Amino acid sequence: MRPLNLLAFLLFLAGTVWALTRSERTVRDIQATYYSWLTPFLNAGSTLEVRARTFLDEVENSKKLEVELSAMRDEFDRLRQVEAHSRELEEENARLRRALDFQKRTEFKATVARVIRRQTTTWWQTVEIDRGWQDKVAVHQPVVADGGLVGKVDRVGDKLSSVILLTDEACQVSVQVEGTPEVGILSGQRGQYEGGTKLHLRFLSPKARISPGTRVFTTGRGGLFPANLLVGTVESVLPGPLDSEALVRPSVDFTDLSTVFLLPLP
Amino acid sequence: MIRYSLSLFILVLLALVVQQFIPSLTGLFNSRLLLVTLVFLCASVTVGPPVMLALAFTCGFLWDAQSALGPPGGDPMVYSDPAESLRFGYSIILYGVIGYLMQGIQPLFREGKWQFSAFLVGVSIFVYLVAEYLIINFVRGDFIFPRATLFQIVFTSVLTMLFSPVVFWILFHIAGRFGHEIRFEGLKKKRRRRIAA
Repeated sequence: MRPLNLLAFLLFLAGTVWALTRSERTVRDIQATYYSWLTPFLNAGSTLEVRARTFLDEVENSKKLEVELSAMRDEFDRLRQVEAHSRELEEENARLRRALDFQKRTEFKATVARVIRRQTTTWWQTVEIDRGWQDKVAVHQPVVADGGLVGKVDRVGDKLSSVILLTDEACQVSVQVEGTPEVGILSGQRGQYEGGTKLHLRFLSPKARISPGTRVFTTGRGGLFPANLLVGTVESVLPGPLDSEALVRPSVDFTDLSTVFLLPLP
Repeated sequence: MIRYSLSLFILVLLALVVQQFIPSLTGLFNSRLLLVTLVFLCASVTVGPPVMLALAFTCGFLWDAQSALGPPGGDPMVYSDPAESLRFGYSIILYGVIGYLMQGIQPLFREGKWQFSAFLVGVSIFVYLVAEYLIINFVRGDFIFPRATLFQIVFTSVLTMLFSPVVFWILFHIAGRFGHEIRFEGLKKKRRRRIAA
């Protein structure tokens, strides 16, 4: 080996060892710098994509959109009335709670976010959303969609964040099977794809009596997810000598994620 | 040589940006075009080991910065068996290994036979993805290698390999612009043919 090549190889090894020995915090700083550099490109690309899509939709469906818009306006008016009625009920509820000296519930605050990129890495099930530090997004913040739990925030940038989906092996959730005392840890499975993804529910009791179709909710334990968020329905149960396992169909359609909601940390 | 090497680094950075907008093909088992890896592999056969290693470090470092997962979080009493994440920096080693694979076929490339290198790009990406998946299995336990993952790896490798002639064409163009000769033997043969004609 030539001296220059040897020197380059040794420098490469030294650099690799340096990178491999970085602490978690340093890695996060590196990632933050990397994404702050990349964010303008991602934002520009996302904006262009939205504009192009809107333009194409407008061209193709202008009449259809007009009809839809009219229907949505009617629906909007109706919902405003419903909202006004709901506010009245909320106030009445608050009055009654005060009268009964109930402990005040934590306010349910959800931040809406748009999914701007899907499956950003080769192996991890992640999506990127258009909210970041500037919107007070925090690491591990729970993310839900209209169907139920979606996942949690994994990395936060200035204006973008990465969400690790429930279908990923690394996203574990403490759950309870409805109508039973069974609790377990639910996570995605390695090597599964969006279409037929099943979640893996472990650590159930050996004689767990769970029938397919039973719903699964978060327990609220573990400090990551609030309680009572719908996660999915049981498809099958695999009894074992030490513990039982179950396959769960997620309640959210992960192939059709466009808008999600960020919940406050429990 | 220096200008050509610098242009390779710029090309890698551009590939990183473009990679963000390349979606995975859900109909093909989430396979995708790995543009950064493709640019690195094509570039590594056109340069010597020092530049190849520098490129491997840059690509691996930035690739991990892009895709490394954070700590699982949560109460360890409840989440007692978290899925381990891959260590930041492992991609640097993988890039180094596949870079050396490409270097092995450099004599053929310098004779002008870029087709072998294009084929080796596919092989290298296959090796890279299999190695990466095996590391995940090793780190997380429970060896699982479903057929869908194999298809994902194969389709990603083939898809990326099919684009390698385009990258080689760009590299030849850049090399020509900066006066960097990357096909010594091939050029000599061409000259000989011209003289003979």
